[in-house]
Amino acid sequence: MNKIAATVDNFGRAILENIEEMGRILILFLSVLAWMARPPLKLRLIFKQMEFVGVKSIFVVVLTGTFTGMVMALQGYYGFRMFNAESLVGSTVALGMTRELGPVLTALMVTARAGSAMAAELGTMRVTEQIDALYVMAANPVKHLIVPRVIAGVIMLPALTIVSDFMGILGGYFVGVPVLGINSGAFINNINKLVDLGDIYNGLIKAAFFGLILSVVGCYKGFNTTGGAEGVGKATTEAVVLAAISILISDYFLTAIMF
Amino acid sequence: MFSISTEAKVGLFVLVALIILGYMSFRVGESGFGVKKGYQVNVVFDNAAGLERDASVQIAGVEVGRVEGISLKDGQALVTLRVLPSVRLEKDVEAKIKSYGILGDKYVDIVPGTEGEAYIVAGGDITRTERQADIDKLLSKLGYIAADVLEVTASLKKVVGSVEGEANLKAIIENTRSITENLDRIVTQNDEKLNLMIANLGEASTEMRKAFAALNSVVRKIDSGEGTIGQLVENKDAFDNLNQTLASLRDITDKINEGKGTIGKLINDEETVDNLNEGLKSIDKSMEGIEQYISKAEQFKTFLSYRGEYLFDSSEGKGYFDLTIRPNEDKFYLLGVVADPRGRRTVTDTTVGGTTTRTEKRERDELLFTAQIGKRFKDIALRGGIFESTGGVGIDYFAFDDSLQLTFEAFDFNSDKNAHLKAYAEYRFLKHIYLSAGWDDFISNEGRESPFVGFSIKFEDEDLKYLLGSVPIPN
Amino acid sequence: MFLTRNTQPVTRKYMIKLVDIHKSFGQQKVLDGLNLDIEDGKTTVIIGGSGGGKSVLLKHIIGLLKPDSGQVFVDDIDIASLNDKGLNEVRKKFGMLFQEAALFDSMNVMGNVAFPLREHTRKKEKEIREIVRERLKAVGLLGVENKMPSELSGGMRKRVGLARAIAMHPQIVLFDEPTTGLDPVMTEAINELIVETQKNFDLTCVVISHDVQSIFTVGHKIAMLYKGRIIEYGTPEKIKMSSNPVLRQFLSGSLEGPISVI
Repeated sequence: MNKIAATVDNFGRAILENIEEMGRILILFLSVLAWMARPPLKLRLIFKQMEFVGVKSIFVVVLTGTFTGMVMALQGYYGFRMFNAESLVGSTVALGMTRELGPVLTALMVTARAGSAMAAELGTMRVTEQIDALYVMAANPVKHLIVPRVIAGVIMLPALTIVSDFMGILGGYFVGVPVLGINSGAFINNINKLVDLGDIYNGLIKAAFFGLILSVVGCYKGFNTTGGAEGVGKATTEAVVLAAISILISDYFLTAIMF
Repeated sequence: MFSISTEAKVGLFVLVALIILGYMSFRVGESGFGVKKGYQVNVVFDNAAGLERDASVQIAGVEVGRVEGISLKDGQALVTLRVLPSVRLEKDVEAKIKSYGILGDKYVDIVPGTEGEAYIVAGGDITRTERQADIDKLLSKLGYIAADVLEVTASLKKVVGSVEGEANLKAIIENTRSITENLDRIVTQNDEKLNLMIANLGEASTEMRKAFAALNSVVRKIDSGEGTIGQLVENKDAFDNLNQTLASLRDITDKINEGKGTIGKLINDEETVDNLNEGLKSIDKSMEGIEQYISKAEQFKTFLSYRGEYLFDSSEGKGYFDLTIRPNEDKFYLLGVVADPRGRRTVTDTTVGGTTTRTEKRERDELLFTAQIGKRFKDIALRGGIFESTGGVGIDYFAFDDSLQLTFEAFDFNSDKNAHLKAYAEYRFLKHIYLSAGWDDFISNEGRESPFVGFSIKFEDEDLKYLLGSVPIPN
Repeated sequence: MFLTRNTQPVTRKYMIKLVDIHKSFGQQKVLDGLNLDIEDGKTTVIIGGSGGGKSVLLKHIIGLLKPDSGQVFVDDIDIASLNDKGLNEVRKKFGMLFQEAALFDSMNVMGNVAFPLREHTRKKEKEIREIVRERLKAVGLLGVENKMPSELSGGMRKRVGLARAIAMHPQIVLFDEPTTGLDPVMTEAINELIVETQKNFDLTCVVISHDVQSIFTVGHKIAMLYKGRIIEYGTPEKIKMSSNPVLRQFLSGSLEGPISVI
């Protein structure tokens, strides 16, 4: 009986802790908003983060985007061939990339690359007392460390997503037209006809949300690191897992709200 | 070595991304067909169902323009087309709405007019339209036909399909054959007799003509009052009797009208009518009551909301979890809990030997409670009750279809410190998601005044069902 | 009715006053009714065993931690009741040298030392560079402005940390175990530097340390923290003469005595 009670107890505590953590992340987000509204913004720091989050992620994003588009074209081709509708492959790839895969895959790649780095960096700063040093020098760490990262995430994710969308469609084209022999005119015309501006823009709005999530979660985990080098490692792992889960869950709700 | 600054790299990347975005938007967007290129032409269709903005305008399958707008004009659809300047339309062109295949999108097809006719000027009208074979109409007609065919085949099946029916049919066919056989035999065997019969018939008709002439003379006799029937028809007395009967009948109805006799009374009495009317009215009223009850039930709504606030000056967050019950449009109850990490602070002074020491106690992470009653007058709602576990009042002003809310609250009227005043604005920027900003405790004399920003999520019970239950199908 | 300011005599002797501080982390009581006055313009050394709450005490002085109950007066302001805005104003009076120096990895030495100046003053870049050079000279380091912290030795990092702590010419400088992890020669050098700096900049210094050798070199006043309270306080001479068994054991480094070593 005691064992059962203990299990229930632990389960309840785990849920409460999760809810509490969500609340703390939200508070961190609000404090970021608050500090964003207070000039001066550290432009140099923002640019540095934008370079790190954006420019340095181009390669992975181009790679994932291109190959995703290629795979979609290949898979779609086998499906559509059964209905003699091969020319729909182009619009399927384009819709899939702009609405879902572009934003989500980009966000996941950037989470793995930059979100983890944010957690590790801030975690190291926490355990080596650099964050305390900021407080002591009357400089708010949220303003100096987190705001630039969040701004970089929110701006660079849509930019990367555009690249990913474009490369995905391009990849789909190269598999579809020269390799599988779909008529190029039909391929492109179907994209023009079936893809809306709204599909692209909503995908970009999603991407901005994902950028917000991965940077806030990464910063939160790093900022609240305890326990030395091991703690930094733990924070990094947790940041990636939590950010990835949050991105996928919020994707559902964003889709439900937007489309 | 050549090196690029951080700013330049970021700038270049953003620029490239924007160019790609611009290119993709150009390819898929409405701007693909020169936005303001071309001239406008109006055309009125009886029915423009399925036609959408930006649909193609074609001549002989070649795109020459786009549909710019569709609006209603005198119960018909006014469709504005934008046509390429290089394409001239004669005054007698004809416009139709067609579709790509049975399920395809609709487009406007223009049939060229006669060469030599004057051209339509910008802003002019295409006057000839063809009522297109509406696919819906076609389908519904097909439906009727199919139903008829079905009925016929069904009854046929009843006749023919069963074992009995088959046997009957066989019997009928058998009979028919034997009849025709018999007929054949009779005809061949009685050729002579038949001839005679026909001759007899001819004779009979001559006789009949004679009989008709006799009948004619009888009728003439009746007409002139000769014989019994003639007398009956012409007799004045009989006619008078009939008249009298009719007169008395009228008398009775007159009496009824005047309210004489039981039936008359019943029908003519004002009171009866009033009673009747009243009875009907009360039925009507009770119907209204039922209606009201039903609409009330429809108005009954509950909302769940969570709001997080971040207080600038103490760098701490405050969480509100509220349940709003709104039995009808203008009344609501608010229940909730507030998590305030600053907690409540109690200060006690103790004087020992002339020196006063002040001890201060903080109860942190205390949950505070909210229980309020509110009433709404159009754009303004007044609230009163328990705010953060103390008494207070509040006022909300709603604007822009409730998407903006301005709120002022006053509570915690403790004697030894200033009341807790709070003012904020909340704006809905996405469905269910709100951002707010304001000033908390702004006349505090304990240094607790602080600007804050907030974020909230609000769900109606229906929305909750929608979000958690059914998966909306992306269009 | 402001709670945050106490009226006290003008001829005030104390820069920092800790009154009845209680602090626990979960079940563990770290500070248990601690009282301590820190004299203006002097160096006070707080000694005590490892994990005995010295760092926690230091963090209370600068407002990184808030007491469960009790008051911390800095320059007559109760910082325990201040919000962030007020706290930041008070913190501008402080400089702090962290245990591992806590230099910002992402900035070079110049950036580190200039950080508070760039953050809180509107001085011109040229002027800031001048001040940084002056401070680096004061800690005996010149010509390392463009090095990154990872390129410096432990002693150099501490010096840069001290230069950063005194960049704004604060009234109070806190030292969190300044000599931990240094060789004896470097330890002596840092101790000298603390004494010099305190004199030259007319600072109130609070040093926490468990290094017996350093205590008597730098301290004008010494306070012994044990079980969440100050059990002995006085001049180095008085501390040396003390008969308190805890202090005796601590100073002699003996295993015998009231301090239990697990």
